[in-house]
Amino acid sequence: MRIGLVVSCIVMFFVIAFAGLFNLQIAHGRSNRDLSRKNCIRLVPRLGARGKILDRRGEVIVGNKLYYDAAVMGRGIKEASGTLAAIAPLLGKSSGELEKAFRRGFVVSSLPVVVASNIDIKEAIALEEIKSDLPGLIIQPKPQRAYPYGRLACHVAGYINEIDRWRLTKLADYGYKTRDLVGFGGAEEQYDYYLRQESGGLSIEVDHRGRFVRELGFKEPQSGKDVQLTLDLRIQKIVEGALDGRKGAVVIMDPASGEVLAMSSFPNFNPGIFVEKDAQEIASVVRNSEAPLMNRAISNSYPAGSIFKVIVATAALEQKKINKNTTFVCTGSTQVGRSVFKCWNTHGEQDIVRAIAHSCNVFFYRTGLLAGAQNIHDYAVKFGLAHDTGFELLYETGGFVPSPLWRKLKQFKGWYDGDTANLSIGQGDVLVTPLQIARMMAVFANGGYLVTPNIIKAIDGKQVVSSKKRAIAVPIKDSTMGLVREGLREVVSLPDGTSSILAQLPVDVAGKTGTAQAPPGAAHGWFAGFFPFKDPHFVICVFLERAGAGYHAAMLGKRIIEQMSKEGLI
Amino acid sequence: MSSRLMIIIAALLICIIGISSIYSSTCQKEGRLWQDIYKRQILWALIGALFFMLVSNVNYHRIWDWTYILYIATVFFLFLVFILGLARLGAQRWLRVAWFNFQPSEFAKLAVIIFLARYYSRKSSNDTRLCAQRYGIASGIIIPFLFICIPMGLIVEQPDLGSGLMLFALFISMLLLSGVKFRYIFIFLFLTALPVPFLWHFLRDYQKERLLVFLNPNIDPLGAGYTIIQSKIAIGSGGLFGKGWLAGTQSQLRFLPESHTDFIFATFAEQWGFFGGVLLLLMYLAIICQGFNIAQRTSDQFGRLLAAGISLMLSIQICVNIFMNMGLAPVVGLPLPLMSYGGSSMIVTLISIGILVNIDKTRTVF
Repeated sequence: MRIGLVVSCIVMFFVIAFAGLFNLQIAHGRSNRDLSRKNCIRLVPRLGARGKILDRRGEVIVGNKLYYDAAVMGRGIKEASGTLAAIAPLLGKSSGELEKAFRRGFVVSSLPVVVASNIDIKEAIALEEIKSDLPGLIIQPKPQRAYPYGRLACHVAGYINEIDRWRLTKLADYGYKTRDLVGFGGAEEQYDYYLRQESGGLSIEVDHRGRFVRELGFKEPQSGKDVQLTLDLRIQKIVEGALDGRKGAVVIMDPASGEVLAMSSFPNFNPGIFVEKDAQEIASVVRNSEAPLMNRAISNSYPAGSIFKVIVATAALEQKKINKNTTFVCTGSTQVGRSVFKCWNTHGEQDIVRAIAHSCNVFFYRTGLLAGAQNIHDYAVKFGLAHDTGFELLYETGGFVPSPLWRKLKQFKGWYDGDTANLSIGQGDVLVTPLQIARMMAVFANGGYLVTPNIIKAIDGKQVVSSKKRAIAVPIKDSTMGLVREGLREVVSLPDGTSSILAQLPVDVAGKTGTAQAPPGAAHGWFAGFFPFKDPHFVICVFLERAGAGYHAAMLGKRIIEQMSKEGLI
Repeated sequence: MSSRLMIIIAALLICIIGISSIYSSTCQKEGRLWQDIYKRQILWALIGALFFMLVSNVNYHRIWDWTYILYIATVFFLFLVFILGLARLGAQRWLRVAWFNFQPSEFAKLAVIIFLARYYSRKSSNDTRLCAQRYGIASGIIIPFLFICIPMGLIVEQPDLGSGLMLFALFISMLLLSGVKFRYIFIFLFLTALPVPFLWHFLRDYQKERLLVFLNPNIDPLGAGYTIIQSKIAIGSGGLFGKGWLAGTQSQLRFLPESHTDFIFATFAEQWGFFGGVLLLLMYLAIICQGFNIAQRTSDQFGRLLAAGISLMLSIQICVNIFMNMGLAPVVGLPLPLMSYGGSSMIVTLISIGILVNIDKTRTVF
């Protein structure tokens, strides 16, 4: 009778054992299997290289260099400390330092923790030799961004940095993760999707001490695709050499295709500091009040000044308000309404060609008043001002051209003749970007087509579809075109033209200077033009922030063109 | 099929499973010593089989005569271990004899069963009825308990709390089976339970740690809780059909410590899954049930208590070991009979089964 009691107790215990087995193996079998996998499988990431950024001839603007990381794998500091102590003398660091790095970087036991990054090749080889004796030590090759020309074309290329919260929320659906390196600004950001490498990795089986047992699988890391720009590094170097140290921007473009051959903005920055994670340097760049990270060629707009006069001339000629024989007499000033508007000189009798050549304000006050503010605005829009150009890089601003209608709707104010006079010489509220001015100039250079500026030539060796680079015909008559072109040429060729300093150049240049008042502070200087005059291959726009006068911009343009012709690039 | 045939077949199968599991858990370790460990287990099994044949062919009543000699020898050996342990200033469970280690606490379990079986099957001289029913609390419980306390105290002092507690559990169950009055047993249990809260302070640090870790293994996942966590993962990752022979990552890659001794069940369950585990448990259950069957069929009180005691010893060790593997009991050093690596355990278990078989045989002869 008592035996029965004992036996039923024992059978009950066995039933509990069966239930326990069922619970562990069937009910929680899957999670336990995952846990056992995590125990013995380690993933060793292998990074691919980010795509290179090339110039139009295939020269590397932004490339990669191979570095090595020493990483240690382990379930905790206890397990790793032996290995860390062994490698510390080879790396010239104390083991305490490495242990600190290990603790800081530890996430899960299946991922190696980088304890020393960017070690040089000699140290990497030394570590590789003792690797087999040390459990959990991994030497990872790591391609990193390298900038063979330093700051050259830094705004066009952009830089890379750890992804920020804003970009992460935007890009999380495309497989971006925290701590990914992504492009910021320029081609790096716009074409990040193509440039981005796909990291592969090695999955290995390890034993309880983290020692390698066998390889389970390997996924080849995929390098990113190369992006080829239309930039010509030779021209870019000339431009940056000429601009060095002065605030401003230069754009050189092919007027026929809209391909940007050089684009430079100063002050600039060294993209390498983001790779080296030099916190102090980064802070000084980001906090700098002169905004070195901003691409002044596209991301900020400035008053246009006299360069805007070519639009006023075109509008008046097209509307038949003036013709090539119309003249006004410049006496140094003119009365508009009740106020007196001054010219910068006394020019005497001026026709349209001479007025452009001398940049005579009085002629354009009169012409502008004849053409009317709304017409001027409409022609400005036809020449691509007041809205962005469709350029490929991000953060382009559209600029602004005022009109009577806008004034009435937005400011509840009337439009007076004085406003028209101001608009006629590009003052007042007119805001343009250097790229817009280069594009406007291209219309006169290529005989009437508004091109779309572009900078991407090919991605992964495939040419970018040309339909994106279409040009729109601007409806202006040949006679108008001829008169304005003649005026632009005489700016340079006349001894008293505003850019006569460019006359000695071996190529015939046509262009226009501009001095844009922007109180408080000195005026901005502009020079925009094209060359060679007969068969233009280049449009140039030089913008100097707070340079004082357009003359300085013309000087800079002269130096650039001079150097280009010296190097046989024209 | 007769009970003894079933017991022999099940025991043989379990031995084979045990040796294959030991092989699987040690074959990837470095060193010849580790890799040859399964051969040693085969040797122990063969020696055990010799003892089994010897014991199963000698009438178990002979054991009655040797009871006190066995008891005294056991206490002597345990005392020897105690002395040597003192000399070494540390834990000591083994006696080094020639080329093998001998673990007296394994033999103590069997000796205690034999001692109690004899004690409770005494008959009074003027009456053929058993004394046990008429025993008072003194002669029924206190005196045998004092006899048990000597080996138990020596074992606990080794320290081997698991085996010591097992002797106590054996004593209580033997009390139940012997026919001592229930109320005495309850009074005794109550009295022994009273000082339990104070015993906490007498536990060694690692024993306290094991108990705390049993309640929550995650308080020290890389230290004391490591074994139990890895064991649960090993068993659980086996799933329905297991990972296959020699393909258990937990045991073969040595994430599971003691995978060939105390945690051999986890090693086995990882490779053979739920099906293998259930099959193994059923085989153990078959041995135990047949053991109790034999006990029930035996009219002789000594044989009955002996058979029941042996079955109890096996079931307590099996249950505690498997519960411990699954994290349902704290980690104590109890081996899984016939599976865990170890000569003493293997030989004692086979001797015990030999006695069971002999009791079955002898009864049939009558």
